[in-house]
Amino acid sequence: MQSDRKTPLWILITVTLAAFVWLIPVIWMFSLSLQPNELLSRTTANTLLGLVPWPFTLENFQAILAIGDTPRWFLNSMIVAGLSTALVLVTSTLAGYAFARVPFRGRNIVYPLVLAGLMVPEQVVFIPLYVFFSDLGAHNTLPTLALPRVALPIGVFLMTQFFKDIPMSLEEAARLEGCGHGRIFWSIMLPLAGPMLMTLAIITFLYSWNDYLWPLVSAQQREVFTITVGLAKIQGNFAQSQGLGQLMASGVLASLPVIALFLIFQKYILRGIALSTDK
Amino acid sequence: MRMSSFWQSDTFSGWAFISPYLIAFIPLLLWPFFQGLWMSLHDWNLLAVTFNPDAKQFIGLSNYAQLIGGDNLSWSLSQFWPFRTVLLVGGVTMFLRARRHNRFDRGYVWTLAGLATLWLLLGIRGDWYDPRFWIVVRNTVVFVAWVVPLTTLTALLLAIALNRQGRWAAIMRTVFFFSQILSVTVVTLIWQLVYGVRNGFIANLLTPFGLESPNWLTDDQLAMGAIVVATVWWSVGFALILFLAGLQQIPGDRLEAATLDGATGWRKVVHIIVPSIIRTVQFVMIMQIVLHFQVFGQSHLMTQGGPGDSTNVWVRYIYQSAFRDSEVGYASAMATLLFVFMLMFSIVQYAVTKRQEA
Repeated sequence: MQSDRKTPLWILITVTLAAFVWLIPVIWMFSLSLQPNELLSRTTANTLLGLVPWPFTLENFQAILAIGDTPRWFLNSMIVAGLSTALVLVTSTLAGYAFARVPFRGRNIVYPLVLAGLMVPEQVVFIPLYVFFSDLGAHNTLPTLALPRVALPIGVFLMTQFFKDIPMSLEEAARLEGCGHGRIFWSIMLPLAGPMLMTLAIITFLYSWNDYLWPLVSAQQREVFTITVGLAKIQGNFAQSQGLGQLMASGVLASLPVIALFLIFQKYILRGIALSTDK
Repeated sequence: MRMSSFWQSDTFSGWAFISPYLIAFIPLLLWPFFQGLWMSLHDWNLLAVTFNPDAKQFIGLSNYAQLIGGDNLSWSLSQFWPFRTVLLVGGVTMFLRARRHNRFDRGYVWTLAGLATLWLLLGIRGDWYDPRFWIVVRNTVVFVAWVVPLTTLTALLLAIALNRQGRWAAIMRTVFFFSQILSVTVVTLIWQLVYGVRNGFIANLLTPFGLESPNWLTDDQLAMGAIVVATVWWSVGFALILFLAGLQQIPGDRLEAATLDGATGWRKVVHIIVPSIIRTVQFVMIMQIVLHFQVFGQSHLMTQGGPGDSTNVWVRYIYQSAFRDSEVGYASAMATLLFVFMLMFSIVQYAVTKRQEA
C-alpha cells in the first residue's frame, strides 16, 4: 500500500466526487423518507435537489410503524434470517469439523458431493423445492423460508477450510489423554473458531435478509412476507397506495439492519467475501 | 489410543457430525437438483398435477427440443456478424499468442474450442419453436456483456486509486462497497425513483435546463441500459474487494523498481500493476459472468421484462413459465440449460485457476 501523503490531488478530488455521486441515490432515499408526503406529491427536489430533508418530519416512519404490514415483514425477516443463520452455524461447524479432522469411511465420497453443490445455484433448484414444500403443505410458514439456505454448502466449505488449517499438535495431546471427537470439538476447536463463526454468521444473515427469489415464490400470503418481498410488492403500486415518503421509509427500514451490520462488522464481511471466493 | 468400539470409531463420529447438515443437504439441494432434471423430461403442469398426481407425462427430451429446436434451420456466415467478428479476432489472437509462446495447455485448448463452437452456433438461423426463449437468452447475454466489463473496469480503476493507507482511502472503500449490501428490492426501489419521468432525480436535474427526461424504463432503447447502470452501481463493491486483495499480493519491490526506472502514473498501471493482477481480473470476470447470468430482480421489478420482452431475462422466463403458466416441466428444462451454461463457465474458471497455480 502507498501512504496517503503521496496521493495525487487529482485522484483525491475525482474519487471523492465520484463517491459523492455514488451515494446520491441512498442519500436521496433517506432524505425523501424524512419529508412530508404532501410535499413529495408536488416535488422531490425541494431543498438542494431533495438531498436535504427540509421540511423535516418523522411522520412517514410513524405511519408505517403504526399501520400497514411493514413492521410485521421486518419481524418476519428477522426470524427467517436469524433462524437460517443459527442453523447454518450449527450444521456447518459440525460438518466442517468432521470433513477436516475425522478420517471416517465415506468421507472421500461425501465431501466432493457436498462441494459439487457449490455449483448449483438457487435458480436451478427453486422449482423442485417449491413442489417439495407444496407436497408437505408447508408454504407460507417462516421455517420454509429459512430452511433452503441451510442446505447451501458454502458454510461447510468455509468451516472445513478453517479446521484444516488448525495445527494437528493442538489436538494430539487431548487424543493421548483419550478424548473423543466430541470433547475435542467442543473444548479445543470451537473456542478457536470464534472469529470465523462471526464471519459466517454475518454473511449468512446478510444474504438471507436480502434473499428475494425463494420468499417470492414460497410466501403467497402478506402475513408471511419478508421485508424484501413486501417492499417489492408495495413498490409496484406505490402511486395509489401510501405515497412516496412512506415507501421510502419502508426502504430505509428494510436497509437499516444490513447497514448497521455493515458499519459495525465491515471487516468480517470483507473477510467472508475473500474466503468464500478462495476456492 | 485406538478405541475398538464402533460407537467411538471415527466412522461413527464422522457420520454423526455431518448428519445434521446432510438432513438439510439431501432433501433441499441434492434431491431437488435431480428432481429438476427428472421434471424437465416431463410434460408437467403444476396445477394439473396438484389435482391429479398422474397428470404428468414422460416426454423424454421434447422440452429441450421445443426450447432449442426450430424448422428450416440453416447456417449463415453473416448473422450477428459484429459480435462474431469480435469472437473470431479474439480467438485467432489467442491462438497466435499461444503458438508463439508454445503454450497449449488444457485451459487454452478448451477456451479456444469453446470460442470456435460459439462462433459456429451463432451462425444458425431458422424458425425457432420458442422464439421467446432466444429473446431472453439474447437479453441475458447482452446484460452480462455490458455489466461485467463495466463493473470490472470501474472496480479496477477504483482499486488502483484506493490501494493506499490512510483514512481517506478507507472511507472511500467503504462508500463504494456500501451499495453491495443492499437487497435487490431496495436497489430497484431507489433506481426506479432516480429514473422517474416526472419527479425522478435525473428528471429533476434536467428540468431547470428546459429538458425533458426520457422514459428510461419504458423506452426499449434505454431500458436495458438503465438496468445495467443500476446493476453496476450495485455490484462494483464485490469486484473492488477482490481486486484490492489481488493488489496487496504485488511485491512492493516490483513497484519500487519500476518507479526507479522512471515508470510513473499510467505507465506503471498499464505495464506493472495490471499484468500483475491479470489472473485476479480473469477470475473475477468469470465469477461475475456466472453471477449475472442469474439476473432476475432488476428485470422483474424495474421493467417487468418490458417494454415488450426487451429486458426479459432467462431466470424471469423460468419464473414465468413455472409460476404464471404452471409449466414446471418446461421451466425445469430451461433451468437445466442455464445450469449447463453456467457449468461451462465454472469449468473455464477451474482451468484458469489451475493455470494460475501451475
